[in-house]
Amino acid sequence: MNKLTLAAIGIALLLDAGAAYAAQLHAAVKDQRGKPVADAVVLAVPVDPKAAAHARSPADAVDQVDKQFLPYVKAVYVGSKVRFPNKDNIRHQVYSFSPPKQFELPLYAGSEAAPVLFDKPGVVVLGCNIHDWMVGYIYVSETPFFATTDAAGAATLEDLPPGEYLVRVWHPGMEQAEQSLVKRLTVGADDAAKVDWQLAVKPSLRVPRVSGAANPGYP
Amino acid sequence: MPYRGPLSTATLITCVYAILAAGVPYAARGDWNVGAEASVMHDNNVGNAESYSDIVSDTIVGATLSVFQLFPIGEGYSLTVGANLNGEHYNLLTGLSNATAGASVALKKKWGLGAFAPWARAEFSVAHSDYNDDYRNASIYRGSLAAGRRIDERWNLWAEYSYERRNAASQPEEVPGISGDAFSESSNNLSLHVEYSVYTNTYLNVAAIFRHGDFVSTQEEGSYQILNSARAIAEDPAFGEEDYAYRLTGTTIGFKAGVNYSTTAHSLIGFDFRRFDTRAYGGNDYTKSIVEITADYAF
Repeated sequence: MNKLTLAAIGIALLLDAGAAYAAQLHAAVKDQRGKPVADAVVLAVPVDPKAAAHARSPADAVDQVDKQFLPYVKAVYVGSKVRFPNKDNIRHQVYSFSPPKQFELPLYAGSEAAPVLFDKPGVVVLGCNIHDWMVGYIYVSETPFFATTDAAGAATLEDLPPGEYLVRVWHPGMEQAEQSLVKRLTVGADDAAKVDWQLAVKPSLRVPRVSGAANPGYP
Repeated sequence: MPYRGPLSTATLITCVYAILAAGVPYAARGDWNVGAEASVMHDNNVGNAESYSDIVSDTIVGATLSVFQLFPIGEGYSLTVGANLNGEHYNLLTGLSNATAGASVALKKKWGLGAFAPWARAEFSVAHSDYNDDYRNASIYRGSLAAGRRIDERWNLWAEYSYERRNAASQPEEVPGISGDAFSESSNNLSLHVEYSVYTNTYLNVAAIFRHGDFVSTQEEGSYQILNSARAIAEDPAFGEEDYAYRLTGTTIGFKAGVNYSTTAHSLIGFDFRRFDTRAYGGNDYTKSIVEITADYAF
């Protein structure tokens, strides 16, 4: 058996192994008026914890561009280290008071700030102490199977091992409790399961970025 | 005819704006912050006159360009250094059209992190206004103390006290024994502001305004009462050949109510109404209402 044949067999085995984890979950999220909801985090928590036993926590990043956090909502797996590259030409001072992770990155420019470890699941609200209107969210997921909806309100969770899942959704503006939206779902190999939610989303109130000459609060 | 200086307001505005506009691309990229505002305002009593026959209303078109830089200087403190240019064009009272160039420095203290931390700010500014009718040209000095706190995403409260001094050139005495320095004035000002977010991009704001100090009232030849209470009198041909400006002292109570709408993350349009009732020592009470539409852009 020559090396070429061995390589072909290896690739075939890898493809076969991948096929066993090829299940997908397509999620659609709409609001109370039927409009698509962007920036919703969809999570699939395997009922059998072994399904996520080998998942790793990759490094991730939340950028600051044009004095905004980008993306507005970032989902990461618990244990991930997240960097906060500042792509503006001014300095930012990123902080969070949220119980899952309280931290402060003193004023910095560029990529000087050390990555932050998110080791507890939950919602972490980000802010900048200089630019009060800057708000962002990091959703620290207890499961490695998650995705964030796009502008069309759609998200696809890839490579789900076959099995039973508790699937739920979270959005910064949703009025329902997260646990009240849990759905139980079974996916088989090669499945392309679908799930959808209709959320009651309240309008997001933000600190005004431009406040005119009258407001001396900023700078 | 009123005397007009060799450099017209329009020329001054154009020159200074051209210089600043050339710097905007650098400023927008760098550590500087740049903002611009355009406004249209209607003032129903520009001359602060009491009697109906003396009241003149006018519409004023304005533009402001401001540049500032923020220097964080330690635990919770920041220093802001800024400059601004403002131009106003009066539709009828063209002699009042003016250009103002100013600079400011402010020290801000924030107690804690985040948007909801209470803050206080001390600011000093100096500016020079150049009018089409030069006799109104003035240097303006202003010191202010402000403090506030955003309660939550909806409610924002702040208060400001300021002392303002305008120094203008003294004019020839019109009445023997009474100063001709009618356009110099000083005042103490206090304002309390409440801002409320109605919806995602819509904000209401109301303010109570108190002012005590000098004000200039322009009218035709005055009564014994106003002559007796005026601290200075000068001709004011911007309003008419027979008009005089009287520097009086009084107390103003006013309010402001407005609505702002963020059209984009960088821009804001606003509409507000202001009403002022002034009681002068020795008479000459007057009222004034102002309606203003503004468009702001922050780079």
